[in-house]
Amino acid sequence: MSSTIQVDTIKDIGGNTIISSNGSGTFTSNLSSNVSSATGTLPIANGGTGAATLAAAGLQRPNANPLIINGDMAVAQRSTSVTGVSNGNSGYQTCDRIRFDESGTMGAALTITQESLTSGNAFINGFANAFKVDVTTADSSPDADDWSRINIRLESQDLQVFKKGTSNAEKFTLAFWVKATKTGTNTIELFDADNTRSIGGSYSISSSNTWEHKVVNFAADTTGAFADDNGEGLRISWTLSAGSNYTSGTLPTAWESSTVANTAVGQVNNFDSTSNNFHITGIQLEVGEYTSATIPPFQHESFGDSLYRCMRYYETQTGFQFFTFQSGTNVTNNAYVNCSVKKRANPTGSFSGSIINFFPHTGGGQGETNNATGMGASTGPDGHFFVGFETEANAPTTDGFHPIYADARNLVINWASEL
Amino acid sequence: MNIKTVKKQAIPFQETLILTLKDDTFFFVPTINAEDNTDYQAILKWVADGNTIEEAD
Repeated sequence: MSSTIQVDTIKDIGGNTIISSNGSGTFTSNLSSNVSSATGTLPIANGGTGAATLAAAGLQRPNANPLIINGDMAVAQRSTSVTGVSNGNSGYQTCDRIRFDESGTMGAALTITQESLTSGNAFINGFANAFKVDVTTADSSPDADDWSRINIRLESQDLQVFKKGTSNAEKFTLAFWVKATKTGTNTIELFDADNTRSIGGSYSISSSNTWEHKVVNFAADTTGAFADDNGEGLRISWTLSAGSNYTSGTLPTAWESSTVANTAVGQVNNFDSTSNNFHITGIQLEVGEYTSATIPPFQHESFGDSLYRCMRYYETQTGFQFFTFQSGTNVTNNAYVNCSVKKRANPTGSFSGSIINFFPHTGGGQGETNNATGMGASTGPDGHFFVGFETEANAPTTDGFHPIYADARNLVINWASEL
Repeated sequence: MNIKTVKKQAIPFQETLILTLKDDTFFFVPTINAEDNTDYQAILKWVADGNTIEEAD
């Protein structure tokens, strides 16, 4: 048995037209959601792209996680504020995956924070946190070899969708919310770490201390494929201040062998006053070319999902309780700790906080507080460490294995496997 | 990376280096299966630049 339903219009119970037909096989849809599963033309006004299919629209990974991890700055495992960031302080300061780097001898000093947003255009578009750089010591004239920037580093194996180095290479589009005190031109560099190639882009801060949404396009590169490995493939750098060594050339609008002089041409100096701040959030990297009208919505991940992805590169744990054995009359003991998430690579370890030991072999109950004395690093990305700690005052006096309980609830262990 | 010193540890942690930065923060860096560890890479470059890893106490 078969049957046919023949209609020219489908309306909702309120009489509003949802789908209509012109009688020649073409339907017009007013659906404004679930466009990810649609295959017809996606109207721009309804959140689509105007292209016939998602692939034609350049949305090659519509159901995948965003390429930028923690682009909404929600996760900050290390801390939420670091003061006195100055010469020699390159590294991850607050928000996970967001790095501050400086080259040369930076004269400015900064406070970097994970900023909570409660108002402004970024906030009303769904962003409750930002990465904020506050200038506390100004540098009105950077040295020629000074270059300060915020950067994000991505693994090569996660970038294959760009088909870089092939005849089908894709363009890159970077979108983000930014607020800066200093108006004028700022620059961005995409650096291909596998092939030492770069391309530049720029955006303008139009209004001081006002959140603005920027969409910056970068050309495709048919030269130099990203490696299929866990090393650094792409580094995205937002320059904050740069000396003449980095500004004296021409900003490259096509990929080229990296040239220092072309890095940040036209860059304003965001460090020239202690009144200056620079804030950024909502960072997304898309495959293909988009405008401010066609850029796909930011993919908001849950905090838990974002934290899990961040922990591939950095993880911190505390609240340990150790039950171990002391060998013979040694005063040094080892406890075993393991990270929760497999790391990008064999991680570096660090610790802080003290350990309180209790010794059943001498009656138990007495506490001896010591700091950890060392760490035996992992031998692989599973990230298991041995933590060394001493029992100076209460070493056993006989051979054999003696049980020890150590209250290490204040011990903090960190695993780092950053790019 | 602003490296101040790099030092070996005694047994049983002899395969882990103590990396101390100029701000005196310190880290424990693996040497086994560590070619993808960027801290280990920085130490190798630091050594190639003419610096020396200290022996364990």
